[in-house]
Order: sequence, then C-alpha cells, then structure tokens
Amino acid sequence: MVIIYSTPTCVYCHSLMEYLKSKNIEYKDIDVSKDEKELEKMVAISGQMGVPVIDIDGNVVIGFDKKRVDELLNLK
Amino acid sequence: MTYDLIIIGAGPAGVSAAVYATRQKLSILMLSKDIGGQVAKKAVDIENYPGFEKISGPDLVDLYKKQLKANDLSVTLGEVVGIEKNDNIFSVKTVDDKEYKAISVIVTSGAESKLIHVPGEEEFAGKGVSYCSLCDGPVFKNKDVAVVGGGNNGFETAVFLSNYVKSVKVLEYGEKANADAENQELVAKNPNIEVITNAQVTKIEGKVFVSAIYYEDRANKKEKKIDVSGVFVEIGYSPSTNFLGNLVDLNEKNEVIFNSETLETKTPGLFSAGDCNVSRYKQIVMASGQGALAALSAYNYIRKVS
Repeated sequence: MVIIYSTPTCVYCHSLMEYLKSKNIEYKDIDVSKDEKELEKMVAISGQMGVPVIDIDGNVVIGFDKKRVDELLNLK
Repeated sequence: MTYDLIIIGAGPAGVSAAVYATRQKLSILMLSKDIGGQVAKKAVDIENYPGFEKISGPDLVDLYKKQLKANDLSVTLGEVVGIEKNDNIFSVKTVDDKEYKAISVIVTSGAESKLIHVPGEEEFAGKGVSYCSLCDGPVFKNKDVAVVGGGNNGFETAVFLSNYVKSVKVLEYGEKANADAENQELVAKNPNIEVITNAQVTKIEGKVFVSAIYYEDRANKKEKKIDVSGVFVEIGYSPSTNFLGNLVDLNEKNEVIFNSETLETKTPGLFSAGDCNVSRYKQIVMASGQGALAALSAYNYIRKVS
C-alpha cells in the first residue's frame, strides 16, 4: 500500500504522483491541508512537517527521494 | 548509447534548451532532480513573462511538461553529481550511480535556497524550518510563522502564507526591505503581515518542532524572541555548480563564467544557461533566452565535431 501525504500547491508532490502513475503504481493521496488528523499522523510517522511524505508498506520516505522510492518499490 | 546532447536541469533554461535542440533533430537526454526548478516553488503568480498576463508557477510547470511531451521529450529524474570529459565525450554521473554519455552538455542546474547559518536551522529543517512555502505553507494553517528575508521572495512568500496562517513576521536584516514597490504595497495592506527591519536572526529554538525565532535588533543590539511554529527562509539563492568540478571557471559567488556570445564554458562542448550563470538579475525570461542560445551553440558545436 502506497500513501502520499501532500498539499495541493506542492509541485514535488505532483511530480511524485505522476512518476508513480507512469510506473503503474497505485497510491492513495491524502491532502494534509484539509485534514488535520491526517496531518498529525504524517508528522507522527515522519517526525517532520514537510511534504511530500510517502508511506510504502510502512516504510516512510520524506520528500520525493526517487532512489529510495525506486528501491522500496523495486523499480528500475 | 551516446546522446548528441545532455541537458542538466529542467527549469526555464533547460526546457527552452530542450525545445530548441529538438528542433535541430538532436538526440537529447534531459536529466534533472525535478521539473520546473524554482518556478515550481514560486509562491505568487508570474506577471512578467511575455504572453501571459498572469500565470502561477505550478501552471507554468504544467505547460512546460505539455510542451516537452508534444516534442517527444521526457525528463529522466536524477541528481547529477559529476561530469567528466574524455576523448571528446562527456560522461554525466547521477546520485544513483548511473552514467550517461553525450557529445555536448548544457548545464541549467539553477540555484538552491541560501541558508541563514544560525543555530537551530539545520536541526529543525523540516520540523518547522522550510525552504518551500508553496509546498509546506498549507501545513501551517492558523499558526504564527516568520519569513526570513525582505526581498521579493520574502514578501511574496509572506503574502502566500497569509492565505493560510494566523500571522506572518518578515525579518529583514537591512534598514529597509528591498522588495519592489508592488510587493511592498501588497504587504502594507495585509493586516496579518508585519515587517521587522534591522533584524539579524540569531537562532531558531524548539523541542521537537520550532517554537521560536530569535533576532538581534541591529539598531539597539537587543535580542528579541518571537513565538512561531514555522520559519520560512527566503534570503536568496546560490548557484548549484559544485558538481562541475574543474570543467568550468566560477566567480566568487560560485556562478559559472561563460562566453557571452555562445554560453560555452571554458570546456569546449560544455554550455551553461540560466540561474547557475554569472548574472546580476535572475529572471525566468532571461533563463529561457539563455537556454535557447545554449542549444543553438551546442548544435553548432556538435555539427563541427561529429
């Protein structure tokens, strides 16, 4: 399960989503500017407040770190 | 495979270079860690780009993507960490240990946010300290925040943030904020923004997350504290040129020195365009123009050597 915590104005979040789409990876996008509980959850799991945060089967990646995302999703 | 041309970066200069180079039928690889560069982080609308009365940064980035797609160009995501030139072929290495080869290279790596270098800045990066208000601003809904820097970027960031946060304090080192008249006016009439001049930021404090920023009032040398949850750093940019090694000459600001007629660096076949270059003004339209010039120069170079 891939969850992306994002804000609507964050271009890096959109790039990340486009990248996952291009690799046919399904994800759930959560807009943390609209949902305070989800924002708190994002801060709790990542220990920080910047977006995007990506949760890949419980592995948390901060920012669009392509190398790490590729590793966790076995993408080449 | 060896490409005709590798373009490093995909901001205004990189996109413009790619569009021009593709019209010359060159085989092109665009390598960049993101698309849009600083345009993607722009907090307010762009109103000085020909053909657009007004356009937001993200919307302009979308148009870049559409134009690249229409020209069968795609951006390979990757951060470049080094370039070498051997036997007239450039090797470009990325952080994920990949290597790409080309006859010519255009560097449009742009610039990164400058740091304030005070205690707490590094410790709280991402924990209240942010360098991308457009990304992180909405996370600070109803909070008090500070913006460091009273230039155009600082004022534009303050205006953007005021849509979400409770209050914004802009801390400017100088006696006067340097933002242009239009931005000064926008800030002056915004009741949620206060500009504090003569303010030298001394530290950022917190437990897990930022809780306060301290500054010295340069007029009377007294230290003052403001309780904030967020600190947005907007004191300008420094060029991303470290990976270029000794293939280029840099000035004292680490900007690339180039031939003004061709944008070629001291290494034949290596061109440079946009905000990584020596220039007094950094503007989207100027970066775009340099991208085009670099592409045409690279085409001439490639034609000559191959």
